[in-house]
Amino acid sequence: MSAQVSPAYRELHSGTYQTMLLAKKVGTYLLLVLASVLVLFPLLFAFSLALQGETIAPTLLPDVSKPDFSVFAQAFSKEKHLGRWILNSFVVSVAVTLGQLLTSVLAAYALSHLRFPAKPVFFFVFLGPLMIPWESTIIPNYLAITSWGWKDTYQGLIAPFLASGFGIFLLRQYFLTIPHELYEAAVIDGCGRTRYLWSILVPLSRPALGTLAVYAFLNTWNQYYWPLLVTDSTEWRTTQVGIAVFRSSEIAVYNLQMAATLIVLLPTFILLILGQRQLVRGLTEGALKG
Amino acid sequence: MSALDRPQNHATHFSGAVGTSVDGATEAALDRLGRPAKVGSRRLHRRWQDFGWALLYMSPALALFLTFTYVPFVRSILLSFYVTTPTGAPSRFNGVKYYARLLNLDGSGRGEYLQSILTTIEFSLMVVPLSMITALALAVLATAKVKGIGVFRTIFTSSVAISVASAGVIWSLIYAPNVIVTKWLVHVLQLQPDNLLNNASTALAAVAFMTVWTSLGFNFIILLAGLQAIPQELYESGRLDGTNGWTAFRYVSLPLLTPTLMFLCIISTIQCFQAFTQFNVLIGNEGPDNATNVMVYALFTAFWKDNRYGFASALAVVLFVILLVLTVLQYRVLDRRVHYQ
Repeated sequence: MSAQVSPAYRELHSGTYQTMLLAKKVGTYLLLVLASVLVLFPLLFAFSLALQGETIAPTLLPDVSKPDFSVFAQAFSKEKHLGRWILNSFVVSVAVTLGQLLTSVLAAYALSHLRFPAKPVFFFVFLGPLMIPWESTIIPNYLAITSWGWKDTYQGLIAPFLASGFGIFLLRQYFLTIPHELYEAAVIDGCGRTRYLWSILVPLSRPALGTLAVYAFLNTWNQYYWPLLVTDSTEWRTTQVGIAVFRSSEIAVYNLQMAATLIVLLPTFILLILGQRQLVRGLTEGALKG
Repeated sequence: MSALDRPQNHATHFSGAVGTSVDGATEAALDRLGRPAKVGSRRLHRRWQDFGWALLYMSPALALFLTFTYVPFVRSILLSFYVTTPTGAPSRFNGVKYYARLLNLDGSGRGEYLQSILTTIEFSLMVVPLSMITALALAVLATAKVKGIGVFRTIFTSSVAISVASAGVIWSLIYAPNVIVTKWLVHVLQLQPDNLLNNASTALAAVAFMTVWTSLGFNFIILLAGLQAIPQELYESGRLDGTNGWTAFRYVSLPLLTPTLMFLCIISTIQCFQAFTQFNVLIGNEGPDNATNVMVYALFTAFWKDNRYGFASALAVVLFVILLVLTVLQYRVLDRRVHYQ
């Protein structure tokens, strides 16, 4: 350090500058906390209502001296099917996630590593479903599922979602970043195509697979329209349709409604916290890289 | 979701055969001619083997897309030209009458389906700008370099994990007239004292406001990533030119973020056109004076409640055309951005 103190150095250590920095920091935190409260308001509101017991005129904050946590257990006893709905959603979401991983890995492998005639044609066939909105195929799909007798079954809830254009292109993109020389070397050494896929490519692609898994699970868990159409009996509902039905049956019992909703939100919330990095990567991959 | 890839990339990869003595272009040319020429028979054998394996690997996805996307899509188009039985079998050819009816070209003067398209547009106009401005503000806030910013980012992202159905249940209570928050809000904004959702002048806005909240998380993620992708040097050189705070945002961040904002704008509009859950949970019918009868809901009513499969299919085809235009726009925007980089 030079013997002579520079003006900038003096300014940096002067009292006013330090105060300014501190004020800016406090201001930033205040803004962040304020924004967080606003963003979380509906959830805090739901939590507050859940703890207030059965009342028709809930207040903004619950009585902190005697919060009623038993409501979360009550939700299960009041709505006998809540457990079953959660099970249904888990079975469907896990099956769809695994199915999408499998079909996407295989198709993406063919598109990224193998050379074969008419590849561009296949490419467009896989791109098509990204262009066709679900709403414009929903009527024939519903008619087909009904005619196969698949209403109120797991296969009816799962089958239409087992392949994903998003998944195929996400994985293909990732597979292309793995040096092709690796594939050639493996093939020269006598490694078969299928073995290369499962013992080399898939382990190397764990980040992209994680992204697809989190994305698929979240989307499936949160589905509403399709489960509404293909489930008739109460025990075959999934969580999302279930709580909407529960709401209309317990329309005046606010605390139970909110407790049931929060219970249903919990799995995806945990997933968000654990898989945030994967999810963010997946969403921005599509948006920013093109 | 969105454009994850473009065929051009693929073409390069395809012709760029690796690890062979023949160069990529020649190889591609040979492919097109469909004859082996100088290619050794072992390699040719391998090529056909590759084709067989590729078909095998692609077959599950192909079969699923065929069954649940392509065939239903074609059936939708066909159904839209037919009167159907209550079980959905086409019974009588109807020509384009359904299209004429819903676009009010049949001279009956009943324009409720055109109105439904307008309601959808109105809904998008309420949701998209507000959601993007709020998400942008949150994203700018989340670039602050302070301790614990990760926690705040998770909070701002949180609505991504919340399903529209659960959000609908929560918001139906926020909007309930006997809840104190709503009472206060109604008083402050001088609104009708009855349920916001039962009032034709507020119902659509109320659903839109809830939708803004559910879409915040996604928009926040994209905009934060967009902001983080802006090179720091640009801000530094901007500072030499005297920018700070607001002017840095206005003259550095915003112009560089424009493509991201345009992309989000289109994608959010597409999502608004597909919105169904919040209308079904919060309103559950066409709304007061049809105020919330958006296209997808009109489709749902025609198909689910009235069993008019042919007519509902015509609505589905119109929806497809609108969304296709928006999707093509989205790809254009993405393309342009890639070239600018």
